[in-house]
Order: sequence, then C-alpha cells, then structure tokens
Amino acid sequence: MRPGFSPRGDRGGRGGGFRGRGGGGFGDRGRGGFRGGRGGGFKSPDGGGFRGRGGGRGAPRGRGGPRGGRGGFGAGRKVLVEPHRHEGVFICRGKEDALVTKNMVVGESVYGEKRMSVEEGETKTEYRAWNPFRSKLAAAILGGIDQIHIKPGAKVMYLGAASGTTVSHVSDIVGPEGLVYAVEFSHRSGRDLLNVAKKRTNIIPIIEDARHPHKYRMLVGMVDVIFADVAQPDQTRIVALNAHNFLKNGGHFVISIKANCIDSTAAPEAVFASEVKKMSAENMKPQEQLTLEPYERDHAVVVGIYRPPPKAKN
Amino acid sequence: MAAQSDLYKCVYSFLVENKFTKAAQQFLKQTKVTPQDENEESLVNIYNFWVKSPEARKRKAPPADTADATKGPSAKKAKPSADSSSSEESSSEDEKAGAAKAAPAAKAVPAKKAAAAAKAESSSSDSSDSEEEKVPAKTPVKTPVKAAAAAPAAARKKDSSSSSEESDSEDEPPVKAAAAKPKAAPKAAVPAKAAVPKKPESSSDDSSDSEDEEPAKAPVKPTPVKPAAVKPAAAAESSSEDSSSEDEAPPSKKPKAGAYSAVPPPASVQKAAAAPAASKAKDSSSSDDSSDDSSDEEEKKKAAAKPTPAKTPAAKPAAAKPAAKKAESSSDSSDSSSDEEEAKKPATKVTPAKPAPAKTAAPKKDSDSDSSSSEDEEEEKKPAAKVTPAKPAAKVTPAKPAAAKPAAAEEDSSDDSSSEEDEEATKKPPAKPAAAKTPPAKKAESSSSDSDSSSEDEAPAKPAVKPAAAPKPAAAAKPAAKAAESSSEEDSSDEEEEPVKAKTPTKPSTPAAKTTTPVTKPAAKAESSSDSDSSSEDEQPAKAKPATPAAKPATPAAKPATPATKPAAAAAESSSDSDSSSEDEQPAKAKLATPATKPAAAAAESSSDSDSSSDEEEPVKAKPAAAKATTPSKPAPPAAKPAAAESSSDSDSSEEEEEAAKPAAKKQTPAAPAAKKPAPAAAKKPADSSEDSSSEEEEEEEPKKAATPAATKPAAAKKAEESSSESDSSDSETEAKATPAKPAVTNGKAATPKAATPKAATPKAATPAAKKAAESSSSDSSSEEEEEEAPKSAAKPATPAAKPATPAAKAKESSSSSDSSSSEEEEEAPRKAATAPTTPVTNGTGGKRKKDEESSESEEEEEEEKKTPNNKKAKTTPQTFPKTKKSVNVPFRRIREEDVEVDPRLTNNSFEAKFGAQGDWGEKANDVLKFTKGKSFRHEKTKKKRGSYRGGAISTTVNSIKFDSD
Repeated sequence: MRPGFSPRGDRGGRGGGFRGRGGGGFGDRGRGGFRGGRGGGFKSPDGGGFRGRGGGRGAPRGRGGPRGGRGGFGAGRKVLVEPHRHEGVFICRGKEDALVTKNMVVGESVYGEKRMSVEEGETKTEYRAWNPFRSKLAAAILGGIDQIHIKPGAKVMYLGAASGTTVSHVSDIVGPEGLVYAVEFSHRSGRDLLNVAKKRTNIIPIIEDARHPHKYRMLVGMVDVIFADVAQPDQTRIVALNAHNFLKNGGHFVISIKANCIDSTAAPEAVFASEVKKMSAENMKPQEQLTLEPYERDHAVVVGIYRPPPKAKN
Repeated sequence: MAAQSDLYKCVYSFLVENKFTKAAQQFLKQTKVTPQDENEESLVNIYNFWVKSPEARKRKAPPADTADATKGPSAKKAKPSADSSSSEESSSEDEKAGAAKAAPAAKAVPAKKAAAAAKAESSSSDSSDSEEEKVPAKTPVKTPVKAAAAAPAAARKKDSSSSSEESDSEDEPPVKAAAAKPKAAPKAAVPAKAAVPKKPESSSDDSSDSEDEEPAKAPVKPTPVKPAAVKPAAAAESSSEDSSSEDEAPPSKKPKAGAYSAVPPPASVQKAAAAPAASKAKDSSSSDDSSDDSSDEEEKKKAAAKPTPAKTPAAKPAAAKPAAKKAESSSDSSDSSSDEEEAKKPATKVTPAKPAPAKTAAPKKDSDSDSSSSEDEEEEKKPAAKVTPAKPAAKVTPAKPAAAKPAAAEEDSSDDSSSEEDEEATKKPPAKPAAAKTPPAKKAESSSSDSDSSSEDEAPAKPAVKPAAAPKPAAAAKPAAKAAESSSEEDSSDEEEEPVKAKTPTKPSTPAAKTTTPVTKPAAKAESSSDSDSSSEDEQPAKAKPATPAAKPATPAAKPATPATKPAAAAAESSSDSDSSSEDEQPAKAKLATPATKPAAAAAESSSDSDSSSDEEEPVKAKPAAAKATTPSKPAPPAAKPAAAESSSDSDSSEEEEEAAKPAAKKQTPAAPAAKKPAPAAAKKPADSSEDSSSEEEEEEEPKKAATPAATKPAAAKKAEESSSESDSSDSETEAKATPAKPAVTNGKAATPKAATPKAATPKAATPAAKKAAESSSSDSSSEEEEEEAPKSAAKPATPAAKPATPAAKAKESSSSSDSSSSEEEEEAPRKAATAPTTPVTNGTGGKRKKDEESSESEEEEEEEKKTPNNKKAKTTPQTFPKTKKSVNVPFRRIREEDVEVDPRLTNNSFEAKFGAQGDWGEKANDVLKFTKGKSFRHEKTKKKRGSYRGGAISTTVNSIKFDSD
C-alpha cells in the first residue's frame, strides 16, 4: 500500500501544493492542479466516510474541511450500489447518486476521487466515484449513451489517455481480464499515466503519437474498442489509422469530438456532422451520437462500429 | 450535369465500340450514363443521318468529326484544347497560309494533314475537314477573302484559320456563290459570305461534333436553349430547336438559298420549330444542357477532344465568322456547349459557361435577333432607309477594311437596324407567328437591343421603339413570366452547375432577361420562334450551315478556351448561344432588339450576333457591298459576342467557379485579372474568340498577352470591335484580323483559362466595374467610334456615350452591352434612320417595332433600373466572387457549414434539446453552465469537478440519437 500509495498518494495528499507547484511549470498542470486540489477537497469529505471502512489510509491526507458540511457519504452511512446498464459501471445510490466503478486497486484513489466501500457479506468492495465533469466517458454514460462497448474482459485502445484518470476507470471496467492500451503523446501527462499503470496491470501505457500507429504496433494486439479523446483537427483520421491497424472487424469506436478543435468558426453541429461524414468514409459506421452538455461545452460523443476488414497488421 | 443527353449513351457506346476504353471510362465516370442498348441508334448512325440532312450535305466532316471525336477524347485528355487549338491553329495557319496563297485547297490539305498528323484532333480534323470541304469552295472565297484579308493578311494567320474556315465555309456553303460575289465586290461581303458558308461548315463541324455527340447537336442547342431558355422551355427549346432546327432543318435550310427571303421563312420555320421547340423547349434545354453536358463530358473524356477540335475550328470560323453569325450563333451555342463541355471538366467552368450562356444567350439572342433582323432587314430593306444607310455605312466600312470595324459595327448596327427593318418587313409576317413570340422576344431583345438600339437610335428609332414598347408591355406580362422563366431557365442551367453562380449570372441575364423578360419571355417564345426562325434562317441557305459552323467555330474556340477559358468559352458559348438564339430569333424578328438587349448583357455578342446575322443576311441579301460591310460587322459582332459571351460566361463561370471552389477560384482568379482584359479581349474575342479559342490554346502561352491586349483594351476594345470588324475584315482582310485576332487570341488565351473567367468578368464584371463602363464604353465607343469614325463618328459617339453613361451608371454590363449594342446601333446610327426603322422593324413592322422601341425604351429604362441592379449585382457578384475569392484571402475553414448536411435531429447540440433533459442528473449543472462561456464556464465547471455537485438521481435511460442503420 504504502509504495503504491506514495506516488499518487503524495500527490493527492500534498496534492494541492505539490501539484500546483510542479504543475505550475507545465502546461499539463491545469489538469494536474485541479486534480490535486480537488483530490484534497474531494477526498476529505468522502475520505472521512470511507476511511472508516477502508482502513484509514486516507488519514494522512485528510484535511477536508468541508467534510463536516456534508453528511452524505459519511462513515457508517449506508450506501447502495447497483449496476448500471453498462457492464462494469455502477451507480451509488444514496442521498446523492454517483457514478462509480469497482476499484481494481482497493484502497487507492488515482486522482483524489472519492471511494466508497460496500460490504456484502464478508467481501468488501470498493468503488471509486467517477465524476462526469472530469471524464467524457462518464459524461457520456450519464448523458444516456446507449453503448460504450467497454465491458469487463474487453480490450480497449484509449487514444488520448492524458494522465490516466479516465483510463483508470476504464481499467476498472474491463477488469483483470481486459486490457487497456493507453496512448498518450505528452510526456508530462505520460508520467502520470505511467504511475497509474504501475498499479494497474491491465493498463499498457504507450507514450507515442497516435498518428503513427506503426510506432507501437508491436505493443498492441487486436482490440475490441477504440476510445478516442484526442481533440485534434484530424482526430477522425487518427482514429481511422488506429482502427485500420488494431481494431477488429466489427469492433467499435467511441469518439469524443470537441468542435472547437476541428473548426472553431463553424457551428458545432456542422462540425459533428462533418466528422460523422468523415467516419463513414473510413469504414467507420456511426451508430449514435450524444451531446456532452452540460458537462462539456460543444462536445459530442459518437459511437460506431468498424466494419470493413481492417488491414489488421497484427 | 443535370440533364443527361441521350447522346451520352451513344457517345459512350461509340467509345466502347471503338475501343476507346479509357475515354469510355472517363466518359462514363463523368456522365454516369447507362450503357446503351444495342437497339438504340449508334452515334455513327445519328451522325450519318445528320450528315445526310440538307445542311450537312457538303459536310463530310462527319468522318473527320468522328475521327476527331475518337481522337479528340484522348487528345483532350492530355490537353485537347491546347492540342486542338494548336492543331487547329496550325491547320488554320496552314490554311491561312494557303489562303494567302490563294490555294485554299492546298492549305486545307496541309491543314488537314497537320491536324491529322499533329493531333488528329477533332479540332484539327474538324478544321481540316471543314477546311478541306471549304477548300474547294474556298478558293473563290479565299481569294475574295484574301483580297479583303489582304489587309489582314497577317492577322489572318490566326484569323486565317477562322478566316480560312470562313472562307471555306463560304466556299462550301451554297451561298458561296453569292458570298463569293459579295466578296469580290466588297471584301466584307466576302467574309460575310465566307462566314456564312463557313458557318455551314462550322456548323457542319459543330454539327458533326454535336451530331456525333448528339444528333440534334444538343450542344449548340443547349446554348441557344439557354438563351432561349429565358423562357426556359420555349427558349431552350427554341434554341435547341434552333440549333436542331438548323441541323435538322434541312427544310429550313432550303430557305438558305434564299437567305434573304429565307429570313422570313426561317421565322415561319422557326415558328414551326418554335412549336416543336415549345414541346422540345424543355427537352432542348435539357438536351442542350445534356448535350452540352454530354458534349462537355464527351469532350472532356473523349468527345471532349472532338468538341475541342470542333470548337477550335468553330472558334476559328467563329472568329472569322462574325459574318457567319448565325452559324456562329448556332455554332456559338454549339461552341458554348462544347466549351461548356470542355469547361465541364471543371464542373465549375462548365457551370459558369452555362450560366453565362444562358445570360449571354438572352443577350445574344437579342443581338442575334438584331443582327439577323438587321441582316434580314438590310437584305430585305436595303432599299429601306436603314438598309440604305446601313449599306452605305457598310460600304464605307468595307472600304475601310480597317475602318471596317466601324463599318462592321455600323453594318452590324445597320444590319441590326436593317435586320430589324427587314425583320419587320420580312418578319412581320413571319414575325407574327413568331411575332407573338417574337414580339416578346423582341421586347426582350428590344429591351436590351431595342433599348440599346432605341436608346442609341432613340432619336430615330424611339418612335418606333415606343411602339415596340407598347407591345412589350403586353408581351411583358408574359415576358415577365418568361423573363422569370428565362431567368429561371438560365438560372436552372446555371443553377444546375452552380445555383448561386447561376443566379448571379442569371441576374445579369435576368436583367437582360427581365428587360427582355417581358419581352424576353415573349421573346423567349418569340426567340424560340425567332430562334427557330433563325435556325430556319440558318437552315435556309447558308445560314443554317453558318450557324453550325459558327457553332463549331465557337465550339473550337470555346474548347480551347474551355479548359481555362471555359468560362470564357462558356461566355462565348453563351454569347454564341445567345447569338445563335438571337440570330435565330433575329430572323424571327426583333432579334435586333433582342441582340441589343442581350448585347447590353453581351453587347459584343449582340453586335457579333447582329454582325453574324447581318453577315448571314448580308451574304444572302448582299449584297456584296453590304456583304463587305456585313462581313466586317459580323466579325465585330462575333468579337463583341465573344466578349460579352465570355464576360457573361466568365461571370457565370466565375460565380460557378467560386462555387466550384478551387477550379472556380483558379479560373476566377485568372478570370478576374483576365476579366478586365477579357473585356477588351472579349470584345475582340468575338472575332478573336473564334480564333482565340483556337489561338487561345495555342496562344495560351500568351495569356499575358491577352491581358496585355486587355490592358490595351481601349485599343483592344477598339480592336475587339475592330477585331470583330477586323475579324470580318480579317476574313476579308487577313492582316487586320491577324492582329486583332491575335490580341484577341491572346486575350482569349489569357482569358481562356483566366480570360475566360476574366472575359466573363470582363463583360459583366469588367463591364460592371469601372472598367466595364470604360471598357464597354471604350470598346463600344471604340468600336462604335471607329466604326462611326468614318461615317457618323459624332452621332454615334454621342449615342454611345449617352448609352455608356447610362449603362455605366446602371450596370457596366448593361451599359456596356447596351452601349456596345447602342454603339453598334449608333454605328448604325449613321444609318440610324435604318436603325430606327430597324427597331420598329424588329418589333414588327408596326406593333412589333413599336413594342420593340417601347420595349427598348422601357427596356432601356428597365434595363437601366433592372440592369443596373442586376448588372451591378451580376457584375458585383461575378467580380466580387472571382476577385474576392481569387485574389481576396478566404479565411481558412475546415468545415464549410453550408456544405455540411446536418441531421435534423442533431441540429441542436444543447442540453435542453437532448432527450431526458428534464430531471437529468446534469440538469442543475446545466442551469448554471448554460449561462457561462469561455473562462467563466471553465471556472464553473472546475467547481463542479471538486465533487461538490449534487445532481440528484441518475437515470439509465438512453438519450442518444441513433443514426439510421444504412
């Protein structure tokens, strides 16, 4: 625990400061900073509650002042966790509902998120809260997307893994049987991603440019799903490239589109339509689209199926 | 393209049968035609049928055409236009040389050889064919031509091709004899005759091309149709019918013999045609389009080569042909179609061309009608005041060979006037049939041409005009409808290619159309009828052929230009179309008016048309003296037309191009630059245009030159006019032509790619622009002045000036066109009496004229008002678009919203628009965040990230939007 805890824990704990400081220098920081800060805040309240159960690991950090205010998940508070429509995703029903995933690494928060432990009989299960404001995948799930195609045992390629916050939840979903190929080009973010991957064996971090799948083709096998959150003007092409290389026939793709990254002058709807059209041209058949409002501005998620037999190099 | 020609299948089958697999594939790709049934007529059969038709008798080019066609495709693929042009040029040059030598046959042979050897391109082959055919006949013609050409000798080389063709055509045509005579006497006459004959040839060439492609020569028709289109169906039909009628109209051709009388007959014929046309109208329009498209496609792919060649030849003839106006008009239409086809390669281009044609067509028609009418009138009325004046003027002009221009212009004007008169006289009867239609047409024409003429002629003509105006109102009601239709038609054609562009072009045309509209619709009908008439006229004796030849020439020219020039070509085509239509119409009636109107749109065209018509008529009428004058005039008109046509086409093209985007942009850009130049060039082009097309390709190298010429514009303008006149003269006077022709050519080339656009722009844009006014005025004035110089410099200048001013104020185009037309008319002024008479004549002897006059007046006013707006718009649009797009920096955009089709369910990406928004876990967040933007949004969102957000219950419903499982 300790070791594992340290990296992230430190961050989380000191998080605010550390990260803020360290992050300050980096472009990445924005996220990190928030996270750290949040981690603190987040954790404290919940931490308290969970801690009791979890074993007081969070203690070191707990400084959450706000905690008192919210009684919600307080220790001893009863929480009911029920499975979501999407396999591997759960809903924590309580005073306030929360989207959660089953924590693969019990007792550890990846980015300072709250954890909830549920005791069923003798087995204790820990869940991590999944904040839709921080994860587009969570936002899509909360928004009511029909299929994410990410489920226990699935092999997922995650393009734009960033620091690994969402990746950690995907890792939770696919479980030990699944695999997550997390591709991130930024070394700064990649560092955090590597730390996440250290504790989650089903994550294979790849610090490469997703535009050049041949650079990591030896690391990746065929996958069932490609999730893309790359926010690049040519993201459809990027996804298509990876799909051609690694996505099995009939595999699916989940693409988050940020309209402003494609063309900030055009209407978001037009941008989405244009991207959808591009997908169709790449043998990627769109199946559904969902706005990410209000969690993200001018974002949409498109889910589709990759039909044509890919080049499938692997 | 929107309309698929039935010929496509034939062409495709032909290609496949002849194992032109690549071409076939390309063609198939472009046209998406379905393979032809075995049962269906083969292209060869169609062609043969056409060849057997009276008109085609002399033309044995078919084989050549076919050959060309076959070759053409491949050649085109590579660079048909250039090759064709070069080959054509070479051939033309050869011919010229030969012509110079007076060994037409020899030349022809070389030319043929060259063509065959060199490119074997359709153009070359066409030219060669035409030349060969012509050669025999040419000898005589050439001689005269040479004589006439003597001056132009040098000019001829380029023009020579055209001239040679013309000469050939002249020789070839039955009319030849007459033509020859005229030539002998008046060089101009010779050219005119030559032109006429040539036209037949050119037409034959064109026809062959078109025939090859489409039995009916959809290309030509299409163009005409478009103009005619003014009334869409009727017009289109009429135009198409005209072309078809010409081709088809063997009966009408008969009249040819009696070209003079023919005019009227044509009217009747036209009427008959009109009827069919009416039925066909749509078809023709569609066919035209289709034919154009098909031809374009064909040309592009395979046929392209043919068309190109055809065009080149046509272009040459056209260039030479001003005289052969009818032929040209038909040919022009064909050319335009071909151009369009060529242009089509660049869809945009084609589109532009179409729009332009449509517009141009309207103007052209008017001009044509005018010219035809003028010619007819001249011929018939010569005795009449107009005729007399015209002739004298014409003669004078002829005398001047160089002056010829003015003379030509005068002649044109005179022709127009005379033609109008003739028309009135002659047409009245015929006109009536058509008249009903014609009157409207006249109105339109009259509005444009009439207005011009009336304005110019105003003094003399006004009275008459007014009467015409009266008719117009009546007609106007319909015309309005028609106008709308015509505009719509034009638009439609344009629209097909480029809705927007089309619109823009349409607008210009619309104005014309509008002015014309009232008249136009009627006119359209009338035009259609007139067209039919014209066609009939064309058919009559030589006219039919001339038209065809003209078409061919135009086509060739168009082709050369087409690629780059396509717009120009289109314009030319349109002009040619309009010319043809106008010519057709003219015969029918008030073409003069129409021409004038159209001319306004495409003054040059109108002038050219008038010239061509006059030429045609002249040949028939002849009248050697007249012929001479006519000849010059014809050249000028063609030039004018080309310019106008080009301008219109350019504008269209530019617009279209804009739409098209890159190609368009490129073209536009060139066009823009060229535009200005083109204007002059355009003016010149008419004559040059024919040559230019050929020369353009060859000269393409000289694009800049073209520009230079354009720069020279004033001179060029004059030249243009001169060129037109020169072209006429060149025909007669090779040298004169050569010079002008070259410039024109240069311009043409420059214009071609760019020039085409520019031209279009020029005519419209340029015209619209200060340059437009200046140019138009300059060109008009120059041409007019030049023409007038000799005779009535003062009177005419004044008139032109007045007109220019007005036009300038209104729309450059209108002004220019009107000016040009007016100038031409003014030129006629010397013959104003004639003009005035003409106007009246045009309208009808009585009512028609009055209507015309009125219409012209009203039209003028309307034109001024409408045109101004329209013209401005059109001009602005074309110019703006081309220039703006081309020269102006366009913000980079990955997503063009207007190009993206958004699923209705996805048009709103907001939270509220989502299913299940009510009571959603994120509803509260949305309440806060929906008011935020940018940094504040991020701030609010960050707060939410902290985990303090309470959304309530989470639902697991599906709220996404599913795409249709297709």
